[in-house]
Amino acid sequence: MLDEESKANLRNIVGPEWFLDSPEDIATYSYDAFLPEFVPDGVVVPDSAQEISQIMTLANEKKINIVPRGAGTNISGTAVARRGGVIMAFHRMNKILEIDVDNMCAVVQPGVVNADLQREVAKHGLMYPPDPASMFVSTIGGNVALNAGGPRGAKYGVTRDYLLGLEVVLPTGEIIRTGGKTLKNVTGYDLTRLFCGSEGTLGIITEIIVRLIPQPPAKATLQAVFSDLDDAAKTVSAIVASGIVPTTLELIDRVILDIIRDYGGAGFASEAEALLLIEVDGETSAVEEQGRRIERFCKERGAIEVERAKDPQEAEKLWHARRTAFGAVASVRPNCIVEDATVPVKHLPAMIRKIVELAEKYQLKIGVLAHAGDGNLHPLIMTDIRDRAEMERVDKALDEMYEVALSMGGTLSGEHGIGIAKDRFITKELSPKAIEVMRGIKRVFDPNNILNPGSFL
Amino acid sequence: MGIDWDRIEREFYQCNKCGLCLAACPVGKELLLEKYTPRGKIQLARFSRNGNLEISERLRDIFTECLLCGACTVTCPSGVSLTDLFVAMREVLTSTTGLPPNMKPAVEAIGESHNISNEDNSERDEWAEDLEELYNEVSGKDQAEVVYFVGCVASFFPMVQYIPQNVIKILDAAEVDFAVLGGKEWCCGFPLIGAGAPGDLTVVKEHNLDMVRSLGAKSVVFSCPSCYRTWREHYGPEFSLFHITEFIADLLEHGRLKLGGVEETVATYHDPCDLGRHGGVYDAPRKILQAIPGIVLKEMENNRARSTCCGGGGNLEMTDPALSRRITKKKIEETQATGADTLVTACQQCVRTIKGAVRREKINLNVFDITETVARALQV
Repeated sequence: MLDEESKANLRNIVGPEWFLDSPEDIATYSYDAFLPEFVPDGVVVPDSAQEISQIMTLANEKKINIVPRGAGTNISGTAVARRGGVIMAFHRMNKILEIDVDNMCAVVQPGVVNADLQREVAKHGLMYPPDPASMFVSTIGGNVALNAGGPRGAKYGVTRDYLLGLEVVLPTGEIIRTGGKTLKNVTGYDLTRLFCGSEGTLGIITEIIVRLIPQPPAKATLQAVFSDLDDAAKTVSAIVASGIVPTTLELIDRVILDIIRDYGGAGFASEAEALLLIEVDGETSAVEEQGRRIERFCKERGAIEVERAKDPQEAEKLWHARRTAFGAVASVRPNCIVEDATVPVKHLPAMIRKIVELAEKYQLKIGVLAHAGDGNLHPLIMTDIRDRAEMERVDKALDEMYEVALSMGGTLSGEHGIGIAKDRFITKELSPKAIEVMRGIKRVFDPNNILNPGSFL
Repeated sequence: MGIDWDRIEREFYQCNKCGLCLAACPVGKELLLEKYTPRGKIQLARFSRNGNLEISERLRDIFTECLLCGACTVTCPSGVSLTDLFVAMREVLTSTTGLPPNMKPAVEAIGESHNISNEDNSERDEWAEDLEELYNEVSGKDQAEVVYFVGCVASFFPMVQYIPQNVIKILDAAEVDFAVLGGKEWCCGFPLIGAGAPGDLTVVKEHNLDMVRSLGAKSVVFSCPSCYRTWREHYGPEFSLFHITEFIADLLEHGRLKLGGVEETVATYHDPCDLGRHGGVYDAPRKILQAIPGIVLKEMENNRARSTCCGGGGNLEMTDPALSRRITKKKIEETQATGADTLVTACQQCVRTIKGAVRREKINLNVFDITETVARALQV
């Protein structure tokens, strides 16, 4: 796919040391956090939209597939060269170009790490809310391509809600700008939001203007343990119905609680069937009051334990269970498949019960983490990809799980993306016409189908 | 040495490429390319074990761009023992392609002169020049309960020779029955591990163990965390081993050492990788600092198990001094963010690395080994 002439051309564009094709380099750009790997023909590391434009012009001419990759932490197989080609990395485009405090926005390059942006804007009393679990590694470019969410999503929304504008290099090489610094903009179609969540199939994002909000002055953190999943679910409903919008509302099920305990993490009462981690933020007096009400809701609905953090150190401790959950689960079997089915909030307990049923039916070990506030579930399937028989059962279980989620009015993916992980299920959610329209859009942007081909469409 | 490849290869499959290790790796944050990250190195190891990647000098050199600091290992949610893997890979790579060129001098020096500087090993007592009387006493014993193992760096590098000077004064003040080996002390062998040549450790180990046995000692105390770690991991359970901070904390607890105050100092403590993460010693140094009136301790954002390497680990200074310095610079920024004007640590290598950078860049930061703080607070 990549002849010597093309390699020489790429080296000319980015400089010889920024086109990599040694065995060690291509081996290490063959994966993302999804399971299947594909060794690319090479890796290119540009440092400007202009260089990328030249690369795409060449790629169209020579029909070279280009796959943009942030930190490779996506779990949908979005950033691998599944049809061969060249990985495009953004290590050199990692600067925060501007923090515009007066206009409450920031302009960043795609390679900026999410947590670094959050830390820098916090110095100005501002907050960039989207907080995916990968935030200490994942890049804003990747976050935009996948419309990353996070625990704060139920209150603050997701990446899409904080996008003001982009600079994008189209698959055919032209550079366009979308949106701008204004909060409101209805000039033409909303291309900004079209690119967001497009999984690197419509264009290569080279600059992002993000919206920032003032940092809330106070925060309360609570943890409640329930002996009945329904009690936890009723508490979630009560909180939501009361008008309180928590910034965090995480649910951990019994399977995971038991694993955390065995992993040497916090120990919970043996009757514990569900744990809720709840945070509210805002003005000090409001936070005080909301904290008290939430505590009451938990106790009234049968919580066997309720704890409220008195200071940031205690809050860290309460977060500990949630933070160690994934690690504990990932160490049980060689592989852990993280699923992402999302249902409307009121169906959450029913969906969790369904997952428990499926685990028994197909003899699988599945734990559930959920962003309870918005119905976004993360079933964690503890398995071994080398066990073909088990993987077949996993596929069947997933099939059924998606059917149920969709029948409840939910979706295949709340925040992790489709990529190659779920593309075979996409027809369950999108009608043939919808898919046809999407393919049409893809053709407009990428007539030669060279940008991240084979991903989701 | 015996590498447990079964366990290591099982752990390859535990890695789910989540990438959290990248956030903890000081080298990865500087070099950025995936092959220099912990996640990338697992991939390289797996490919090479499966025969999909050639064992080459280039591969060997990739694995040398690493501090062996262990931050990745404590961060990994899937329980992969990354540092064990990297050490094992260095062994495989060195045995096949030869020693990394920049580490060769140190390895050969240990073989020829029994120290890393290739100096005449009888000059090992250079640090004691001004303490003749006390030194002659403790180096001339036939018998002692405790041996103080000084280590190559503190013996030969002037910037940190105050450390063993302080240690013997402190142990003397506490009336500890201890001896030092002087020119009979050989390098503990730590740099051999980083060079992928652990086999060479046997010679120095047998010698050092014999020296301690010949004094009838029961315990060995170290001011160097790397010597401490090497003895703990490779020298067997024959003797009780202590880092000087554990020893001093114990002396304080039993009233065998009395400390006065020092002039008010806002200080932060740096957990050396080999003492903290790899040695499990976090509390002893803090107990000491808290026992000295005048010291106001401010913790760094990443402390204890999450402490960031000073840049001096993994033989990186030998292979890529420029990279090592960049990492030290970041460490200094982290230190300054605490508001402290003094950095206290418990490792002569950390002192050398950080103080060297502070001097070069003319930064306003005092850097001390904890033995200096204790020595100043000693009530005579």
